[in-house]
Amino acid sequence: MMTEPIIRVANLAKLFKVPIREKRGLAAVRSFFYRRFRTVRAVDDVSFSLEPGELVGYLGPNGAGKSTTIKMLTGLLVPTSGQLTVAGFTPWKQRSAYVANLGAVFGQRVTLWWDLPVIDSYELIRAMYRIPADRYNQNLKTFRDLLELDEFIQSPVRSLSLGQRMRAELCAALLHDPRLVFLDEPTIGLDVVAKERIRQFIQHIHRQRGATIILTTHDLADVERLCSRVIILDVGRILYDGELSRLVQRFEGAHELRISAAEDGPALVLPGLPPPRRDGRFLIYSFDPRQTPVAALLQQLNSHVTVADLEVHRPPLEDTIRRIYEQRLLLDDGSHPDSPAGVEKR
Amino acid sequence: MPYFWTLVRTSARQQMTYRMAMWAGLATNLFFGLLRAAVLLALYNGQPVVNGLTMDGALTYVAFSQALIAFLTVFGSFDIMRTVYDGSISGDLLRPANFFFYWMGREAGRAVVNLFWRGLVFIGLFALFYPIRTPASFTQWLLLTLSLLLSWLLNFTWIFLTNLLAFWTPDAQGILRWLFGLAQLLSGWMVPLRLMPDWFSRFCTFTPFPGMFNTSLEVYLGLLPGPAVWQALGLQLAWLILFVILAQLIYRAGIRRLVIQGG
Amino acid sequence: MYTFSIYLRLLRAQLRSQFQYRASFWLDVFTTAVFSGVYFLSFALLLERFGQIDGWRLGEIAFLAGMTELTFALMDLIFSGFDPDFFAPNVQMGRLDQIFLRPVSITVQLLGSRLVLRRLGRALEGLVILLFGIFASGMHWTLAKVLYLPILMVSQIFCMGALFIAGSTITFWTVQRVEAVNIVTYGGVEMMSYPMSIYPAWIRRFFTYVLPFIFMNYYPALFFLDKPDPLNMPAFAPFLAPFVAAILFWLALRFWRFGLNHYQSTGS
Repeated sequence: MMTEPIIRVANLAKLFKVPIREKRGLAAVRSFFYRRFRTVRAVDDVSFSLEPGELVGYLGPNGAGKSTTIKMLTGLLVPTSGQLTVAGFTPWKQRSAYVANLGAVFGQRVTLWWDLPVIDSYELIRAMYRIPADRYNQNLKTFRDLLELDEFIQSPVRSLSLGQRMRAELCAALLHDPRLVFLDEPTIGLDVVAKERIRQFIQHIHRQRGATIILTTHDLADVERLCSRVIILDVGRILYDGELSRLVQRFEGAHELRISAAEDGPALVLPGLPPPRRDGRFLIYSFDPRQTPVAALLQQLNSHVTVADLEVHRPPLEDTIRRIYEQRLLLDDGSHPDSPAGVEKR
Repeated sequence: MPYFWTLVRTSARQQMTYRMAMWAGLATNLFFGLLRAAVLLALYNGQPVVNGLTMDGALTYVAFSQALIAFLTVFGSFDIMRTVYDGSISGDLLRPANFFFYWMGREAGRAVVNLFWRGLVFIGLFALFYPIRTPASFTQWLLLTLSLLLSWLLNFTWIFLTNLLAFWTPDAQGILRWLFGLAQLLSGWMVPLRLMPDWFSRFCTFTPFPGMFNTSLEVYLGLLPGPAVWQALGLQLAWLILFVILAQLIYRAGIRRLVIQGG
Repeated sequence: MYTFSIYLRLLRAQLRSQFQYRASFWLDVFTTAVFSGVYFLSFALLLERFGQIDGWRLGEIAFLAGMTELTFALMDLIFSGFDPDFFAPNVQMGRLDQIFLRPVSITVQLLGSRLVLRRLGRALEGLVILLFGIFASGMHWTLAKVLYLPILMVSQIFCMGALFIAGSTITFWTVQRVEAVNIVTYGGVEMMSYPMSIYPAWIRRFFTYVLPFIFMNYYPALFFLDKPDPLNMPAFAPFLAPFVAAILFWLALRFWRFGLNHYQSTGS
């Protein structure tokens, strides 16, 4: 069944004119009267589309252009060129009508009214979004249960802990059943328990309510848990758009097989592999799972040694993504970001 | 003591970085200065002298009072109060320096920069619009310097004393604003005491406030004959000594209260 | 209307959050009233020695200054959200962005975003001085004056509101807080507290033909106090206030729209 994409972005670009700071001598004096500018391409020819009900992770190093794209998607910023259609609207042109379809949570900003009890903020939101009474009550009850809001729903926002505030904000963002939800660093600064709670909640609203969610985060555990599709941005361009699993498969670093032998002996060097490291009782073999399946490796080892204990370590997603950012693996991939090889659509 | 001068120097250097704010401040001072000059000119309506203050003297008063706003911190300061409220006072207390002199050093640095940047520069700008009188002799300049120093010390100690209220009440800002306004009025800054009704200026002489501004103005304009100058300066000094003693006592009481109550 | 009901709700929310601090609130109102009164008191004492300023006696000045104070305080209450001192740091910190995310007019949200009730103190002070002025100046009431007074005050509120809005709009371009904007708002108010006839001719002409503030306060005062016009303007001059206010306010809103569009194209 062909459905209309809820977000369609085509050749989106945003250029900024940044003044050049002259520091020395004559140039500094001249800059008092006449400033020279250079053009910064914060977003450079970005294209992608989202189907309703998708949960996408939007990743990229700082300064990649993520917040600029999000600002354009939320109607806050006008693009320099390109087309952008969200839920049938042009965001910045029909702002007031458009944002009624959005819900947003910003980990680093408060959108609720600071001095008022949380429930009062919800009442204001109900009025602003013209939520029908029965739907408001229904949603409120559901979220109160899921997010355990009762413990602080009567307290002013300023007295809440970070975790409580995030839960309050999540409820606020969803009370009006938005078609599109933006989550910007929703788990930042939270303890392990709180993070898990938030993730479970996001999963719930994605599965049970079919909301389309764009998740911007630096916490890759969020991504691993929640996203099947990721879009990676750097220097204003999309470097990757596709399945997370395929990204990992392509760029994941070496796995490790750690074994400890039943009896002491010299370290066994296996053909085609670098010699193992020693770490106490353990021998650590680095291998590329794409070339050497771990089963084959074990078989080889078993034929020479009695394995007493073994562990298989995969590099955490964080390491893989870090290497992608640092070494510009996607940029140097040789393929143009928009070519079939570089961009994999679901 | 060398620590004190380091404080002054660092504070002065920091003040010089706020260049945009200094220009904005100058512009604001100039606007209100011209406004007040217009009002005074209209009041004088051609009379050459009123109660010993000539029209020239009145215009000079406007320049003098506007120029010293930043130097004397006429509109008051809430910095010490804030360190009590946000708890950063504990950091200051851990330093091996007397709290009173520590703040004095900080404020002195700012004041020196402001004396030139917002003081002398302002007078220069104002002089483009109206004639300004200046002290006639070297002795007068000397006396002026002495008086300004005493004025500054009095103003600083007043601000220090009033900010100490923070130890006793959780919301001192309103009261402080009121006290600063009171000082502006009674010190002759808002209106020179000579132009106020006689009963008013007589009342003010029983308060410490004229020493914060009016005395320096009169020394500047040379309105005080011979021995009267020394009397006025002496009065400034006397009130200053009283203020400093009060400051030490109240400060110690405040710290005791803070320590016992736990902030 | 939907927008207006949201505006009322926002104001109610502001009231609720300010009344939490009830005890210090009334003290604050009182000290504000007394504090603002000190400035007028000092001028009154000054007038004791000089008797009059450009033919205006204390009661007449009190009428002028009192009304200016009152309308300024009321304007500050209504347009608190557009106070440049408050608006500029908000823009700088990106707090404007969450306003963009709500399906309500940005202007209305800003108007409802702040309510400095403390200003009631200054309004009270202005009212007291105005009443004093009405009695001390021996003003004669006519039907025309009774009808025109509220119209005049509303005009003044919108005229000064226009200054606030324009001042805030400028901060879109200057990014940092522009202290000089205070010259226009607070300086303008103080200027209008004195009869314009005391200012040099070029300033008067500026405030007659460029920024027609002279019609907001000085000319209406001449009408109310039955004073002759030293500048020989046409007889309808005192009644231009509502028109001047309407035009200035409309201009300020256009400028504000322009500023918002600029903010949307360049970001913060």
